[in-house]
This record gives sequence, structure tokens and C-alpha cells, in this order.
Amino acid sequence: MTPSAPAPHVDVATPERVALSLPVAGIGYRCLAWAVDASLLFFFWVALYFVVTLLVSDVLGAFQALSGLVQTLLAVGLFATQWLYWTLAEVFFHGQTPGKRALRIRVVREDGSPVGFFESAVRNLCRAVDFLPVMYATGCITMLLDARHRRLGDLLAGTVLVREEAIDLDKYTQGPGPAGPAREPASVQRPLGAEDVELVLAFLARAPGLEKDVRQRLGARLVDRVGAALTEEERARVLESPEATEAFLRHRAQAAH
Amino acid sequence: MASPLPAFVSRRRPDWDALQALLTRQRSGRLRLEELRRLDTLYRRAASDLAQAQTFYPGTDAHRFLNQLCGQAYGAIYQPPRERWASTRDFFRRDFPATLRREARFVGVSAGLLVLGLVLGALVVLLEPRGAELLVPEGVRRYVAQGRMWTDDLLSVAPPNAVASGIATNNLTVTLFAFASGILLGVGPVFTLVNNGVLIGAVGALCFREGMAVGFLDFIAAHGPVELSIIVISGGAGLMVGQALIDPGELPRTQALQMRGREAVKLVVGCAPFLAGIGVVEGFISPGDFFPTWAKVGLGLSLGALFWLYLLRAGRTDVGAARVDVPDDSASSRLR
Repeated sequence: MTPSAPAPHVDVATPERVALSLPVAGIGYRCLAWAVDASLLFFFWVALYFVVTLLVSDVLGAFQALSGLVQTLLAVGLFATQWLYWTLAEVFFHGQTPGKRALRIRVVREDGSPVGFFESAVRNLCRAVDFLPVMYATGCITMLLDARHRRLGDLLAGTVLVREEAIDLDKYTQGPGPAGPAREPASVQRPLGAEDVELVLAFLARAPGLEKDVRQRLGARLVDRVGAALTEEERARVLESPEATEAFLRHRAQAAH
Repeated sequence: MASPLPAFVSRRRPDWDALQALLTRQRSGRLRLEELRRLDTLYRRAASDLAQAQTFYPGTDAHRFLNQLCGQAYGAIYQPPRERWASTRDFFRRDFPATLRREARFVGVSAGLLVLGLVLGALVVLLEPRGAELLVPEGVRRYVAQGRMWTDDLLSVAPPNAVASGIATNNLTVTLFAFASGILLGVGPVFTLVNNGVLIGAVGALCFREGMAVGFLDFIAAHGPVELSIIVISGGAGLMVGQALIDPGELPRTQALQMRGREAVKLVVGCAPFLAGIGVVEGFISPGDFFPTWAKVGLGLSLGALFWLYLLRAGRTDVGAARVDVPDDSASSRLR
């Protein structure tokens, strides 16, 4: 349905002269995606810890002498978790880390084009500041203040996270139900506007899950809205049972077939 | 007049599904040439469908679906050029040193701040012995009081090398933080630089007072010059970011921030391999006494000289020097 308040979005003017507008991912999506990534990294570290422990607690003590090397590796590993993982994933998987992919969100530049290496490097280097003082407090405050839910790193890099929705187009193309009784009156009426079609289809998709009397009442209100030219007795026939009502509505929504 | 929405959707849907399938395949692997052509055609059709949906069916699910589909296809088609080895080589051969020379003022200011911290820290400890209690971390003071270098344990088996490993990871954090905290109006880099300068100055002065100046030099000489240079450079990058926020010039702040940010991050990314290399030196050569002090000093000085020779000379004589793709009227020239 048409939202009452316009949700934040990124406007893109493509070279094909079409205006795209991509919905922006809110703080909830971002936190969840981060949680997924953080747990992945956590398990990576646990696994690495056991491997290193097995190696270091070796019987011969040969690795003890290399504790300097282990520490260097630890520093490199820390760097990897802090920065490399995020940047490489964003550059090579089209703006998505595994967590972002799970939540169906994606990093793009502010003009909607895919991120490059430098943008990704900037926004992920700034993780250190956004993390301040604990648990992304700075980043979260910035996200809440910014109209497009960007954290400091995004502001500096000129990137924004957009969301992909799962939209089901099947509802438009479902075949009409059992032959509707209201075939003749519907055929003389003109086709519905896009908004009414959406309304009817949304109702039809939800109808099976509704309470019986709610289903009847909503159906009747929709029939009154979209079937204005019905005579009194046709209307009574359409409203006889929920099935008849919904068959009529479905037929109305797809009148042009 | 437009056809009704369900008719529109069922008529055009095969194309959309085909485009979606192609996009999924494009993401997972490679497409053949004819498939790419088909992707292009389908994208153009979907774009015109989107234009139609915007006009006749605004706000419907079909409109949002097309919006998203076109967005994904747009992202797939207008990919940024892949960073290849050639461009990486170009970056280190020309772009990184050239950027550094262009932004030399910020690096200079950053170096000034670090030196200021160094002098302050050293003066306080030299003039007032009790100042050390304030400025030098307790772990280090305990070691110095025993007349030992805290770094002696770095390669030994005993656990208390936590201090030394702290120093190693500290460098990385300091470097990243000196840049990233530039977004806090430039206060972050100033604080980081002065603070670290004070720390190093105070520790050095304390060692000097306790007659351990040679030991301190022994530890710091091999990696110090390059490492401090890297911290200074990334601090300069942080200052660039802060300056874009304080004085964005004619641009809106966010835009100035993005322009300067892209330049600044080149400095940080360029330093990364050198930071890794110097980390190895710090881990293996600096601690312990496998190498005599004079060798460490010589190594440190020559590494530092090579590093700065590279930064100041590389790419200067190349043809590419004429190719300055950054508008020169951006913030750096206004600092004069």
C-alpha cells in the first residue's frame, strides 16, 4: 500500500532517464546484519584459537620460539577482522558482506552506483570511530540523527545502505477463482484504478487468514467501493458468502483480461 | 490510457523474470556475451516499464518491484572498474606519493604536532622527575625501576610480554585511529598525535634519566623512523578530513567531506604495506640483542631514508605527472 509518510530513500537518475528510488536500510536491519557478521568473525576467531593452541602447545616446544611470529600474526588477524573482512566482502560481493546478504541490504554510493575499493576502505576504516566509546554508540547516534540512517563512515565515504524487499507479483496474475456469479454486472463497469486494484489484491491475499465476520465486513466495504454500479439484488447475491464476494472482487481486479 | 495493472503485470512479467534470472547468474558467475547483450536489452525494457509504472501505477507493489529490479540491474551494469594489478602498481608508483606531496602541508602540521608532544613529554619528565608517574604507564615504570627494558621479554618464554604485544597492536590502532578520528572535527588526530608524542617523549626521557638511553635507542631505532612517519602521514590524512568539515569552502559539508575523504584514504591505504613491513621489523629485529645497536640504528636510518626518498621522488619525472586528476582548487590550496 502507499505509505502515509514517505520512507527515506535514495534517488537515482540513470542514464536511461528513469528515476529510481531505492529504500534505505534502517538501524534495525543494520544492527542485525552486523550481528550476523560479528558472530561469523567470532567463530572464525574461536576456530583459529584452537588451531593456534594446538600448534603452540606442541610437544617439542618448537613454536615457543616463534611467539614473536604468533604475535605478529595476531596483529595482522586483528587488522583483518577489523577491516579486511568488511572491505573485501563489500568490494567483491557487490556491496554485501555475508551478514548484509542475509538481511538483504547492500552498500551503494549515494548516486546508487556500486561501491568501489576506496569508498569501502573509508567506511570500514571509520568503524574504529563509529565504535566509540562502546558498541557503536557513536555510529548509532549518527544513524538516528541522519535522515538516511548513515553512520560517520558512510558520511565520509558517501555511501548508503539500501534494502531489497521481497515483493510477490503472483497476486496480480493468479487465475480468477471458480466462475464468479457476478460476471455480467462486472463486464459493464470500467476497469479499476491502480490503487483500487492494489487494495483488492491485498485483501484477497489476506482474506483466508481473517476472522469470519471481519472477512465479511471488509469484503462488503470493498464491494461497495469497487462495484458502485451494482443493483440492489446483484449486491445481495455477491454478498451471499465470502467465496462469492471474493470471486467478484478478483474478477473486478482482473477485469481487463 | 494505460491498461489495467494486472494486465500490465502479466503481459510484461516474462521479461522481468528473465532479467531477474540473468542477474542472479551474473552475481554468481560469468555470463556469456550474448547473455550480457540480453541483460542490457532486458534492462532497457524494464526501465521503460518502470517509467510507465511511475506514471500510471505509482505507489503500487508493481512499481516498487520494478524500482528494485532496475536498481539491481543498474548496479550490475554500471560496475566500477575492477582494481587490477596494473592499477595497484600505478597507485604505488605515482598516485600515492603524488597525493602525499600535494597534501604535504597537512603531513607537516601533523609532524609538528607529534614533535610538540615529544618535546613536552620529554621536558616534563626531565625537569620534574615525578612527572613520569603521570605520563609513563605503570608497567613500563616498573621495568625501568628494575633497570631492565620492558621489551627484553618480547622473545622470551615468560608471559609478561603483554606490554610489548600491546605496543605492537597499539601501532596499528594508533594509525587507524589517527585517520578515522579526523571526522570528529579534526580533534581526534590532534589528540592522538600529541598524546603519542608525549608518551614516547616521556618514556624516552625516563630511560635517559635512569641511564638506559642506549637500551631505549636500541629498541626504537630499527623501526622508529618509518613507524613514526606512517603515524604522522595518517594523522595528516585525519587532519584533511577535519579541515573539510571545519572549512568546506563552497561545497556542502558532506560533499567536501567525501572529496577530501577519498584523497585522505589514499594516504592511509598507501601506508598499509609499509606498516605491515615495519611490523615485522618491530617483531623480529627490534627486541632482544640478536643484532648490535649500531646495526639497528643503521637499519632504521636507511629504512627511513628510503621511505622518504620514495615518497618525495617516486612518479615525479613520469609522464603521469602531467595527469593531475584532482581539482587543485580544493581545500588544500586554501590552507595557504
